[in-house]
Amino acid sequence: MKEEKLTAFIVENQVRFYRLAYSYLKNREEALDAVQTAVCRALEKQDGLQDADALRTWFYRILVNVCMDQLRCRKRVTLVPPEALDTGSYEDPLPSDGTLAQRVDALPAEVGTIVKLRFYEELSLKEISAVTGVPLSTVKTRLYTGLKKLRVTLESEER
Amino acid sequence: MNEFEKAKEAYEQIPIPEELEERVQAGIRQGREARRSAKRQRSWKRSVGAVAACFVVMVGMLNVSPTVAAAAADVPVLGGLFQVLTVRSFTDETEDRTLEVKQPGVTGGELAEQVNAEIQERVDAKIAEGEQLIAEYKEAYFATGGTEEEWAQHNNKVTVTYEVKSQTDETVSFVVESAVSFAAAYQEQTYYNLDLENDRELTLQDVLGEDWVETCNESIRAQMDAAEDPSVYFAPDAGGFTTVDESTQFYLNEAGNVVVVFPPYMVANGAMGTVEFEITK
Repeated sequence: MKEEKLTAFIVENQVRFYRLAYSYLKNREEALDAVQTAVCRALEKQDGLQDADALRTWFYRILVNVCMDQLRCRKRVTLVPPEALDTGSYEDPLPSDGTLAQRVDALPAEVGTIVKLRFYEELSLKEISAVTGVPLSTVKTRLYTGLKKLRVTLESEER
Repeated sequence: MNEFEKAKEAYEQIPIPEELEERVQAGIRQGREARRSAKRQRSWKRSVGAVAACFVVMVGMLNVSPTVAAAAADVPVLGGLFQVLTVRSFTDETEDRTLEVKQPGVTGGELAEQVNAEIQERVDAKIAEGEQLIAEYKEAYFATGGTEEEWAQHNNKVTVTYEVKSQTDETVSFVVESAVSFAAAYQEQTYYNLDLENDRELTLQDVLGEDWVETCNESIRAQMDAAEDPSVYFAPDAGGFTTVDESTQFYLNEAGNVVVVFPPYMVANGAMGTVEFEITK
């Protein structure tokens, strides 16, 4: 595959990559680091990509892995609610009306990943299976578990 | 799925930092470099290591003792010939940054001394500049709410290295590259092309003759037009390529051809990185 094609793809979609990384890490600096690391890794390992059609899933896989590694690096994952952030230190991470968005973020990482890839990045279940390296059936189960959880939490709040 | 559309909308409103573009370009360059050096290392590592070690000892001696230097001048291989060698190589790591320096030096006539002094100055300036940048970055990082723990995750690096592009009995071309890992704008490449016979720096005119400007310009324009996607190059009236001049950087490749080099963003969009044009005779 031509290197120009890879760089063009990356440059074109960089905003999407940043958002996805941010949705994992909830930290501007770390998200930037993650994108840079993923891009660097992709360029470095480009010879490992045989099938140019798989470029999208291949790159998402690298990015998701970088983000997951970073999360694992932290001793525990603490999700910081936007109102607790020091104003001025970070840009507003989530709009205040994003109730469902916040619920999605509160999902366990492996379930949240699938929900985000499915509904935000609009990947097919098969593509998600390729990105996460999880069998298709597990992807389905996790997606439905995630959806169920979201609905449950939403309902309980309305009551 | 209405709620999801709303959630997606919220997701799409995550603000994009200004540096994103820059950081992506930095990633592209680093990855490209890592891939290149991985390839290079595989084939070169063993043989070059031993040979370089021998030369380093030689250079050390030449620098220390005028008698040895005078004696070496009579050795046919070294007499009057330029050699590009590593004169200083070290890694220095602190909490805040890593320095990786592989500084080249040239052995040979008066010109060599001049070039070495210039390289020395450049390398020292680059290290100082890199250290300062990192110190400033650190200060800004903490001032805007970064924590010690997060800072420790950063892997800030100042690197200086070189690469010999080509070497024949008459000429030697090499490039000194310096970079600060988090700031793409501080990547710099300086090319040296030395004429061994006449003990002077080569110019494009020396290699390509009187019409060097036209020769280069024609070839570069033809190559830009023939590119798979010519739109990656900026149009001349939009700050793109107009002409080569005395300050244009170049090196001689293994085939003996001139390769003209433009830094990122100078003639093409950033995704292209450093742009090279080989001028075939």
